Amino acid sequence: MHASGLHLSHFPAMVIFALLVSVALAGLGGHTTGQRIKYALWSFLLFLVIGVGLAWLMYPFSR
Amino acid sequence: MAEEPVNETAPVAAGGRGKSLSAIPFLVALASLAVPGLGHAWLHRWGRGIVFFIAVGGLACTGYLMRGQVFTAVSVDPFGRLGFLADACSGVFYLLSRFLEAAGPNLARAAGDYGTRFLAAAGIVNLIGMLDAYSTACGRRG
Repeated sequence: MHASGLHLSHFPAMVIFALLVSVALAGLGGHTTGQRIKYALWSFLLFLVIGVGLAWLMYPFSR
Repeated sequence: MAEEPVNETAPVAAGGRGKSLSAIPFLVALASLAVPGLGHAWLHRWGRGIVFFIAVGGLACTGYLMRGQVFTAVSVDPFGRLGFLADACSGVFYLLSRFLEAAGPNLARAAGDYGTRFLAAAGIVNLIGMLDAYSTACGRRG
């Protein structure tokens, strides 16, 4: 492993986090594979929309 | 010959006859805590087991790659102790932190700070998986 590590910016880090957590949550919900995939997609989408929305709301206070 | 009544609330077949049924859910939970997804695999929930292993492993490995802070048991700070609890819940991935993050944390960059959150999230997701495996073993979940 490179000593300097992986340098992800905010958005890719959020996308990876949202993807992995959505997959885990989908594993708990739903009864069929189709329902789980739908749950994962919805969860992933909501993570991104809410994350970007909150970032947009906080932008005026960032400087 | 009269058939035995079926107990629908009995724990899922995770060990068979002759074993203490009350002990099995705890063993399943322990297995899940040690290795993400192992408890589900024990209960033949292969899909969920693989999902939890990939999710927890992915979060932990990304956290190590980003050089997040790995908390140790020795901490005077209550947040450090909470961080240790969260990190330690990722089971085998916490034990592998010495090898996966040999260079140590780098919190001077935002990526290192995010890595710390990834590591904590890995532990919390594994904790949720452990509770799910326990509930399944108790017969409360399908």
